[in-house]
Amino acid sequence: MLHTKVIDIKEKKLSITEAESFISSFDFGASIFFSGTVRNQNDNKNVTGITYDSHDALVIKSFEEIYNEADQKLNIKDKTVFIEHAKGYLNLGEISIIIAVACKHRDQAYVLSRYIIEEIKKRSPIWKKEHYSNNESNWLKGNPILYEKN
Amino acid sequence: MKITLELFGASRDFSKNDYLEFEINDQTSIKGFKEILSTFIDKKFKGNVDFKKIIESSAFCSEKNEIISDNYKILKEQKIGIIPPIGGG
Repeated sequence: MLHTKVIDIKEKKLSITEAESFISSFDFGASIFFSGTVRNQNDNKNVTGITYDSHDALVIKSFEEIYNEADQKLNIKDKTVFIEHAKGYLNLGEISIIIAVACKHRDQAYVLSRYIIEEIKKRSPIWKKEHYSNNESNWLKGNPILYEKN
Repeated sequence: MKITLELFGASRDFSKNDYLEFEINDQTSIKGFKEILSTFIDKKFKGNVDFKKIIESSAFCSEKNEIISDNYKILKEQKIGIIPPIGGG
């Protein structure tokens, strides 16, 4: 079972409680909650906030692909996964991403959670613009996305 | 024909809007469209080197939300998205 969403931060904030509610099940003995938050330092600069931008349709598509790949690559068939990512301006400490996974056993849950965040970093079209205490701002350099088809 | 280029990430600095519009020839490839974009940067931003690097390192996506290669030919009026290097989370 999978839940995915890109959340416009002007409309609502990401909620661990919602993630917990979605993955909760007597079928699973292990749950992992990962949240990414805005921190106050990057490359020796004082960060005051981050604006997240997203190609929503491609992001959701990438989340679904990553979830489905877990069957083949990780051989984790029984699982529930909740992935939400924020878009818009976030202050320090606010949550930009929640990945919640539930599996039968802890080994699977740890592996799956780590796999999902690393693949999102590589493949999901999301961008960060950092804002600094000197009122400057900067889009962070990322990784080029690979072509899928010709 | 008219192409609407949806801007994301660092390419948003190309315009105050969320998009740019271009008149291009039928069957222009993505590679050819990149050259049109590069000419736009020359004219509008005096050849801003950082903006040109964004174009060179970007992927593009069709209105069907598929990543398309340099050889992809644009056959009809449509929206295309520019996908600069990514890094969320």
